[in-house]
Amino acid sequence: MADSSWLQEAVQATRALGLNYAFVLDAGERQAFARGLWVTLQLCAVTLPLSLLAGVGLASGLNSPRAWLRRPTRVFVELTRNTPTLVQLYCAFLVLNLLINQQLQGRAGNPLTPFAWVVIVVALHKAAFHAEALRAGLQAVPAVTLEAARSLGLSSRQLLLQVELPLALRFALPSLVNNLVDAVKMTAVASAIAVGDVTYESIMIWTQRDNVLELLLLILLYFGLLTWGVSRAGRWLENRLRMPGYGT
Amino acid sequence: MAHDTHHPGTGQDAPLWPWLAAAVAALLGLAAWTQFSASPPVALQQLAKWLPTLLLGLGANIGISVLAMALGTVAGLLIGALSLSTLAPVRGATRLYVQVFRNAPVLVLVYFSTYVFPFELQLHHWRLPFPDWIKVVLGLALPASANVAEIFRGAVQSIPSAQWEAAQSLALSRRDIFRLVVLPQCVRRMLPPWMNLYASITMATSLASLVGVHDVVDAAQIASNTVSRTDFTALIYASLLLLFFAYCYPIARATQALEARHARH
Repeated sequence: MADSSWLQEAVQATRALGLNYAFVLDAGERQAFARGLWVTLQLCAVTLPLSLLAGVGLASGLNSPRAWLRRPTRVFVELTRNTPTLVQLYCAFLVLNLLINQQLQGRAGNPLTPFAWVVIVVALHKAAFHAEALRAGLQAVPAVTLEAARSLGLSSRQLLLQVELPLALRFALPSLVNNLVDAVKMTAVASAIAVGDVTYESIMIWTQRDNVLELLLLILLYFGLLTWGVSRAGRWLENRLRMPGYGT
Repeated sequence: MAHDTHHPGTGQDAPLWPWLAAAVAALLGLAAWTQFSASPPVALQQLAKWLPTLLLGLGANIGISVLAMALGTVAGLLIGALSLSTLAPVRGATRLYVQVFRNAPVLVLVYFSTYVFPFELQLHHWRLPFPDWIKVVLGLALPASANVAEIFRGAVQSIPSAQWEAAQSLALSRRDIFRLVVLPQCVRRMLPPWMNLYASITMATSLASLVGVHDVVDAAQIASNTVSRTDFTALIYASLLLLFFAYCYPIARATQALEARHARH
């Protein structure tokens, strides 16, 4: 292999620091780790947009004038915010999934894989936080601005789409980005139900070798990189959307 | 953001207890429905039997969360104070600590403390056991301390600099300004985010079950595997969710009430 020489050199160099990264010389373990990195990236790529979408849905539920829509949404949001993600994942994967499988017995397989359950649970968990941020953003739109817009003859639809929502989004953006960073970190719970993310693959490797610290450093570095990327993108968007006189 | 109490759904709505009762009833109904005629009371009987084990497990979670938070608060205040140092290298080091432990997934930190620390400590000729639950306490204290440091720094910096100047002109020393003017205001500002942090650390204690600590989640899993009935599994996990909710929701309500009171003053 052409690249094995520089890998060997890298392993030697880290060994001088007292770290044992010999696992990268084993093709099987190297591929497993790379697959883990890729699965974590996929989890993030699917979960983040989905959480925003669900967050908008929940926020409109929370702001609905109809009580039969507002109260259940409120219950869902409070229940989600005040219980551990791991327990929610167990409730979904060990209970709901079991019930679905029982209903489907004999027929075509259950389309919801463990990967899908992690995406659903983490996305909905963060959506509850997004919804709260968006609701606070909507409330932060000054009443005078809305009055001014109304006096210009905007319809209530135009008012919502062209004045209220754009401003609310700007107010909520820092919290939304914070929540997305949290969502990236939260995908690590996937390892609890044996989805082969970077944490899970690392556990598989370190039970074979005694290199826990080395792998944990790599995982922390990887998550550091992902969260840094998300917060950079968020800051770029904040700058991009900045309007004179509004927001910080 | 709790100034507009007339707005629909501000969190100032009537409490959620009736709705929660309805949700529990629905879950119970679901559990019964999936079993059709299989007598539902059996699951309830089993739940009654396992409830003490579950509550004992929750006690372990609460103990871990209290210890982790106590440790994290002491360490965090120290680190937060150092982050206000006039020495650039000290500031840089605390910045790095806060960044690393706030951006790391809590689960990874729990694994870190579980596998990296030895299972017993050798002090001279004594061997002290180092049980897993203490390692989880340390693993949760790391992110807690980083967050407390950030809360502390934010609170100190939120005090207008004009107050420092005004106090200086009254001939107070730097120490006295900090002790008599800044700190009392900081404590009030720090309390709501500190309570939020405590609630999230409590929820993170559920991760202890993944490294073999016998907590409430572990208890529920053992119960579910032992009884091995679909309706009981649904019931026990719903109860697990509800137990955490019953502990964390009042904390969240109290935090909101405190924030609302501070916003008015």
